[in-house]
Amino acid sequence: MSADVSGVSREVLVRPIQSRSKGYLLALAASLGAIGVWVFFYTQQLEHGMIVTSLADWGSGGGVPWGLYIGAFIWWVGIAHGGIILSAAVRLIGLDTYQPVARMAELLTIAALTCAGLFILIHVGRPDRLVTSVLPAWPTRVQWSPLMWDVTVITAYFVLTATYLMLTIRYDVYRLRDQLPDVLEPVYKALMIGYTEKEDAVVERMVWWVAFAIIIMAPLLLHGGVIPWLFALLPSMAGWSGGVQGPSFLSIALTSAVSGIIIIAAAFRWAYDWEELIPDVVFRGLAKWLGFFSLLFLWLQLQQVMTGIFAAPTTLQHATEVKLSTPVYWVAIGLVGLTLAYVFASALKPALFSIPALVVASFAVLVGTLVEKTLFVVEGLQHAHFQLYDGVPGAYVPSAVELSALLGTAGIAVLFFLVVSKVIPVVELHAIEADHEEVNQ
Amino acid sequence: MIPLASSVPHTLPFVGPGTYLIFGIVLAPVYLMLVAWFLGEPSDRQSALLGVGYVAGLTTAIWGGLFVVTMIIKFAFF
Repeated sequence: MSADVSGVSREVLVRPIQSRSKGYLLALAASLGAIGVWVFFYTQQLEHGMIVTSLADWGSGGGVPWGLYIGAFIWWVGIAHGGIILSAAVRLIGLDTYQPVARMAELLTIAALTCAGLFILIHVGRPDRLVTSVLPAWPTRVQWSPLMWDVTVITAYFVLTATYLMLTIRYDVYRLRDQLPDVLEPVYKALMIGYTEKEDAVVERMVWWVAFAIIIMAPLLLHGGVIPWLFALLPSMAGWSGGVQGPSFLSIALTSAVSGIIIIAAAFRWAYDWEELIPDVVFRGLAKWLGFFSLLFLWLQLQQVMTGIFAAPTTLQHATEVKLSTPVYWVAIGLVGLTLAYVFASALKPALFSIPALVVASFAVLVGTLVEKTLFVVEGLQHAHFQLYDGVPGAYVPSAVELSALLGTAGIAVLFFLVVSKVIPVVELHAIEADHEEVNQ
Repeated sequence: MIPLASSVPHTLPFVGPGTYLIFGIVLAPVYLMLVAWFLGEPSDRQSALLGVGYVAGLTTAIWGGLFVVTMIIKFAFF
């Protein structure tokens, strides 16, 4: 079953650009408010240093110099993944059902990657350290350091995603120019440099190859590669090391990414009465993917638990036992498990399916995956093979400064969508064009 | 003489695991994409160069922008 939205008019497509509503202003105020709260706390961090968090030096809270900031970094990169992967899959293997949400998915990738990068920027303390530490050292350190591998591949991923969006947007802007606001003419002119209709077929082929590069690099080599290798390559941390981290990180990324797309798509559908543009069948399909990835997530958790408690090396066994005795770990597993149960139940009995319930399940998954990843980072440090952190008093609890950054980045993501939806169509024109022919490779 | 971290015995060789991993494996799909932009049908040099311009321009914009902010911080606060 696929979604045929080819009868939808162009006026419906550009509705977010042309409409004005109190709801929009409220959302704008809420996102700016969230960012404001974070800026207030971040100013404290800039003034007094990392000591205002629980992450200073050896870890001012129980020897944990990496905590929510790194957990949230991994989480945002994960959310970023599904976006572009879904869009690339639409182009590469013809998953046309999801074409109405493909561009939202691309935009989610850009917003989420920006938020992920911001967590690294604020975690290094002085923000200029990102440049002073990375740029001069890059040519030699990228040959050796997993941290530099991360910086390199995330930059490449961001650039490919933005290139993909900038190449595909030209087709839409050219054809919808009359319905776009004149005040943004300079922006559209910059986007359309050198455009002729003759380029359409060539650009379509070019973006097929961008999609090809992304669909190999992003899941297999970034979130299933250099990001888990930040942890998996450290044999001194029992809870971190091992080859299972690659697939495990990837399963978490895909689960949270599908959740992110569901929430964004549902928000646009609700705000702009887009029932005809993003029909139920899109959400039913996304729900199945969410269920499938949730199942993979739980299966890979089972792998880690079994190899961690059955005749495992002493320190790994200890780390696993601590994880299993941490109530919040079971909250994370429970939230993903309940989502899986809901998807399964609604597949058996379609009457149980509803978009609001799916959105609630998606939020549950996002909370669960954030908790799991933060716990992974924190407990990995707390239960190392050596005793370095044992003398550090206290226990790690995310500080208000760290939590405010989470709120602030969520505000940035919402603000990004609010602004971008006023500039370009957030649904590809191809989605409503019946005569659009895919370029077959 | 006290051995410093930057002295020859403590300096890693230029070529390491990242050389093969990042430039040989991880970026291979990107090389393939770039080659495919210029070769095969339909392709056209101007569109391919536009794509290369986006890739190079965006990379420069990200790190160049951060560099400018770093310089502002340097001169404003230090």
